Amino acid sequence: MNEERKRILEMLSEGKISTEEAERLLSALSQRSEINQGMVKNEPRYLRVMVEPGVGSKNKDRVNVKIPIKLIRAGLRLASFIPKDAQDKVNEALHEKGIEKDFTKIKPEDIDEILTQINDFTVDVEGKETVKVFCE
Amino acid sequence: MIPLMLELDIKRKDQKGRGSFDLWLPLFLIWLIALPPILLLTPLILLAALILWPTGKGRYILFLYLVIFGLIWHMSGIKIDIQSNKKIVYLNLI
Repeated sequence: MNEERKRILEMLSEGKISTEEAERLLSALSQRSEINQGMVKNEPRYLRVMVEPGVGSKNKDRVNVKIPIKLIRAGLRLASFIPKDAQDKVNEALHEKGIEKDFTKIKPEDIDEILTQINDFTVDVEGKETVKVFCE
Repeated sequence: MIPLMLELDIKRKDQKGRGSFDLWLPLFLIWLIALPPILLLTPLILLAALILWPTGKGRYILFLYLVIFGLIWHMSGIKIDIQSNKKIVYLNLI
């Protein structure tokens, strides 16, 4: 029993508040805790990649990969060690694919922001194979 | 947390199980062996980073050393499970 609930019951037993008031206070307290629980967003711990054969597919290969997000975070920090020439080549390749993003301008803060928001990230592709990418 | 065990399970379906194996590698023993050289190397790396700091390379040496530690530290929890018609490969870092 938490402190606030205990205090309400004590006040009721001492006659400081009526049963109706105690009931109202207790229901307000439980509503507040429900709201708080809803607001607490669990940080994702793993990035999952699942590949399964689609319906009627002859290929029965299955892939199930689970990677800790912290490892991705640490690995992305290695990006700053990529030589300038290689970074330029990555940029060129991205431009060729129509992605106008300068790879060299991604900062550690951006990576942190991406990984914070990755909780809601889900990719679901269904074809010959079903591919699922999500966080848990 | 640092991975303490590595489980590598390879099963071959096409050769009636021949060539299949299930390996449990106690990584904590490797870390115990690797710890003294790492401890010995740390002051040398710090010294090299300090000497090379004016050239700009010192920062990279120090940063790389920390990043490699970070990568090893966060490797536990990796699970890779690949199943095909011929083979099953399962890798788990605990």
